[in-house]
Amino acid sequence: MSNAIALKEITKRYKDVTALRSVSLTASKGEVFGLLGPSGSGKSTLLRIIDLLETPDSGEVQINGETVHSDSKDAFQTRRRIGMILQKPMVLNRSVENNLAYALLIRGWSEEEIHKRVDRELKRLGLEERRMKNARTLSGGEMQRLCFARSTIFDPALLILDEFTANLDPANVALLEDMVRGYASENEDRAVIVVTHNLFQAKRMCHRMALMWDGEIVEVADKKRFFEAPEDERTAAFVSGELVY
Amino acid sequence: MALEVSYDVIQVTLLSLYVSGCATILGSAIGIPLGALIGLKEFGGKGLLKTITYTMYGFPPVVSGLAIYYLFSRAGPLGSFGILFTPTAMILAETLLVIPLTTGITIASVAEVDRSVKETVKSLGTTPRQSVLTVMREAWVGLVMAAMIGFGRCIAEVGAAYMVGGNIKGETRVLTTVIMLETRQGHFDYALGLGLVLIVVAMAVFFFLRLLQEKELL
Amino acid sequence: MKQSQMVVVAVAVVAILAVSAAAAFVLTNEEPKKLRMATTTSTQDSGLLDYILPTFESKYNCKVDVIAVGSGQALEMGKRGDVDVLMVHSPAAEQIFVDGGHGTNRTQIMYNWFVIVGPDNDPAGTRNATSAKDAFQRIYDNGTAGHAKFVSRSDGSGTYAKELSIWSSIGYNNTTVAAFSNDWYKQPGRGMGEVLDMCEDMNAYTLSDDATYYSRVDVALIPHLNITKQGDSALKNQYSVILVNSTTWHHINKTLAKDFLDWISSNAGQDLIKSYVKYGHQLFTPNAPGYASATAITGFVDIGRFEDVTAGTSGVPDAKLMAKDMRAVAPRGEAMDGA
Repeated sequence: MSNAIALKEITKRYKDVTALRSVSLTASKGEVFGLLGPSGSGKSTLLRIIDLLETPDSGEVQINGETVHSDSKDAFQTRRRIGMILQKPMVLNRSVENNLAYALLIRGWSEEEIHKRVDRELKRLGLEERRMKNARTLSGGEMQRLCFARSTIFDPALLILDEFTANLDPANVALLEDMVRGYASENEDRAVIVVTHNLFQAKRMCHRMALMWDGEIVEVADKKRFFEAPEDERTAAFVSGELVY
Repeated sequence: MALEVSYDVIQVTLLSLYVSGCATILGSAIGIPLGALIGLKEFGGKGLLKTITYTMYGFPPVVSGLAIYYLFSRAGPLGSFGILFTPTAMILAETLLVIPLTTGITIASVAEVDRSVKETVKSLGTTPRQSVLTVMREAWVGLVMAAMIGFGRCIAEVGAAYMVGGNIKGETRVLTTVIMLETRQGHFDYALGLGLVLIVVAMAVFFFLRLLQEKELL
Repeated sequence: MKQSQMVVVAVAVVAILAVSAAAAFVLTNEEPKKLRMATTTSTQDSGLLDYILPTFESKYNCKVDVIAVGSGQALEMGKRGDVDVLMVHSPAAEQIFVDGGHGTNRTQIMYNWFVIVGPDNDPAGTRNATSAKDAFQRIYDNGTAGHAKFVSRSDGSGTYAKELSIWSSIGYNNTTVAAFSNDWYKQPGRGMGEVLDMCEDMNAYTLSDDATYYSRVDVALIPHLNITKQGDSALKNQYSVILVNSTTWHHINKTLAKDFLDWISSNAGQDLIKSYVKYGHQLFTPNAPGYASATAITGFVDIGRFEDVTAGTSGVPDAKLMAKDMRAVAPRGEAMDGA
């Protein structure tokens, strides 16, 4: 099992606030890795650094064993292997169909290939009759599912999710979690990093998880130990719902 | 006499459309991409460049006319092209006036596009060029507005058009310069009538542009 | 999908532009040879060129592009070689132009008249003036005393140059602010038509070329202004044609320019100028060197419309009709009113 992603001593400062202090972690291929913690602990910043949207002040990011830099002119190639889904669904002002096709269009896929993939996804999403409608007319749940589909349509090896069901009702939460589970199990080379503050979601989805607290990784453990026998007292407080978030 | 007049009016109107249309297209082709780049890229001096662009909104048209006149006068550096007193010179003078407008409005339009759109697009793996193009498409309404304002500027232009065009009968007369001529000669009613023609023609163009703007580029 | 729609739109726009351009140019008569002429706005507005140029154009199979600007600008365009020939009426400036080597073959071709124009009640009593200089003196005296006003062209025009020469001939410098104060001496820097409108509005005097005055009367814009002094030789407005220097500017159509000069100073051209009547007046008197006015036109060419207008709007119908009759009787080409 090789590392899908490895972060080595990542530090990031914003003016006089230190968002991340020398954070290191690894996630393996075939793993669903959870990143938990209260808001403001630096989880989102870490995700943005992984997706090369931000540059760390120090430290290294390695994707699949290869060191990558967010300010290199090939950064976009690395981003093409990563799929990201945010809390708020963000679709382009285009049809459902064109939103799905977008990631493939920019990669220069052939029209035929794109058509095949898009049809497949539309079927999965149950949005075939509404393929020509403006994506912004969809409901919240439908839009987030669309965002999932368009961010995975190009088979990224690494999927990162930032509170991706925080705005959804329970039915849609279940649907989205199923989609992630399905995606991860399709191919054992894929890895998923889930940022969530929802303990139950973490329990349902992740194999291993880490607790972040004030810019640092406090504890990393597999699910059983994380919940039943945490080493750090903050972890214990968090899993019993005591840490304020 | 009346028949002769309306024959002239048609020609003058068509020339107005031609000169204004070309200047708008040229000014948009230059200004919109330029505005997108300035609006979306970070670079030193970006603020200064924006201020200069916006300042040029107030650039006096008669100075634009004078600049083109100096350039293309026989005594000037580009005189040998013989462009002076032709519609081409008028197009050039009006394009100079349109560029700051299309650039400035595009800068504001792309800046207005939600930051999360820009980031989502980047996270999907766009090259910088692809990012810019996608954001531009998201800002479509603003971009068409830029072209509209550019066209409005051109169709209303008189000073620069007269100076570099010469208001030559059958060659470089457009609606605005003829209105000025007729007003000078005291034919106020006729001038007003031509003004009405101008507004009707402009309305048709803006109607088309509005359709373009509201068209959902799905 | 969206790509092809954009293409259709783009093609449609380009097609419309192309059609407009083609139509605009097709409706123009593209003549093989072109002569570019700079002249003044008052010359163009008189309609003379629209009247005489077609004859020249068909005789020499060419097209004359007329660019009408202020006198100063016309001369400047000549200096820069942007036109082939000038037709202007600013003798002092023309002389400087020629002396500076910018033009050749300066030839006088015709003249018209400046007139002093004033309000109905003639507060400065210019109708009783013995000459143009006297009229101006009266305007000055009454102006500074607060009884009258004067609106000046105050631009680089020939009319303004004439106005200045009259002021200086009676010893005044119109730039002395104290004497020529804004209270009575207005300097808008505008064209003749607009200045006449201002006079109508302010009950003021001005110096105008007769053609613009008549045209303003024709459209009933200045019902309370009348000619109070005319015919003084000081009020003669001399027109000349000057060829732009073709040695400096090789691209000049010098043959055609010379043809134009020869033609307009020939009997044929001069007769044509003489035959131009508008607002019931022969507006220009041809006086090219060697022109014999043997074929002088006498008798009045009645164009009807002008009579209707003057009868209805003129504040002094008798004076106007009398002036018309006088012209009808006097042979053309001769000086009038004691010049």
